[in-house]
Amino acid sequence: MRVCWLDLGLIEYAPAFAIQEQILEAYMAGRWMPTVILQENYAVFTVGRSGSEANILASREGLAHLGIQVLRGNRGGDVTYHAPGQLIVSPLLYLGDVHLNANQYLHRLEDILLQLLHGYGIEAGKKKDYPGVWLEGKKIAAVGIAVRHGFTFHGFSINVDLDLEPFSWINPCGVPHMPVTSLRETLGRGVEMAEIRDRLRDILGQTFALEFEKISLQELTWNTN
Amino acid sequence: MEHKLVIPSTVDGSHELTITAWFKSPGERVQKGKDLVEAVTEKITLYVPAPVNGVLKEILAPPGSKVMVGDVVGIVTETQEDH
Repeated sequence: MRVCWLDLGLIEYAPAFAIQEQILEAYMAGRWMPTVILQENYAVFTVGRSGSEANILASREGLAHLGIQVLRGNRGGDVTYHAPGQLIVSPLLYLGDVHLNANQYLHRLEDILLQLLHGYGIEAGKKKDYPGVWLEGKKIAAVGIAVRHGFTFHGFSINVDLDLEPFSWINPCGVPHMPVTSLRETLGRGVEMAEIRDRLRDILGQTFALEFEKISLQELTWNTN
Repeated sequence: MEHKLVIPSTVDGSHELTITAWFKSPGERVQKGKDLVEAVTEKITLYVPAPVNGVLKEILAPPGSKVMVGDVVGIVTETQEDH
């Protein structure tokens, strides 16, 4: 299956979310192709519809001083943190095309992350009742999907090389004192984001039998009639 | 004609879902295919669309309700002029 590979680069959360919604709508209407969207966001705490801002422990003034936005997202779930150095990957696929239900698809995303980390010599694992990918009790990658009429959006994020301290200012996903880690912290060295993207493209391609076609935001035009 | 709004088998049938939002109130018009209710399980957010054009007659599972695949969570009345 041919799939667009759209790398938004470093972008604010809100416009990136709007782009994802537009692509999803066009894809569901048969006006666009399945697409994998990659992005890094400027520092932001997002609170899901069912989340509580009480899970942000830092003062709004302090966060504003540091340039960290707080946004209430139009999604399920609780509080999460995004920042440069964390890669966010959102496959927009039709579950029927990959022959999986939503739970199987979610676990397949975790398998993809495990395979990626294995390639760096990191043997991470899953944790019962705690979605995501874990390494010695610390979360290194998060998964979270949404499904609309069988079409997936959102996806996963992996902490590559970012300051992890802001995670201690929230109860991530509503869980107090949840330790997190990154590839840099684990490996003791930096990893090129471009290399991570390339490896993920290969693993996603193999896992879901996808052939990618790179496109830019400027090429994202579809017939709106 | 009345249509049941059912939690679809998009998610694994063994998982319980929690209703987190209704996008319309009883008495409001709904459009076929547009999101009507949101339910979450594990790390999955499921949007269930209106099955027909019509009016949301009744919400059987308000926000916070626990539901399973196949459960009827609401009733939509298809109105004559919507055919």
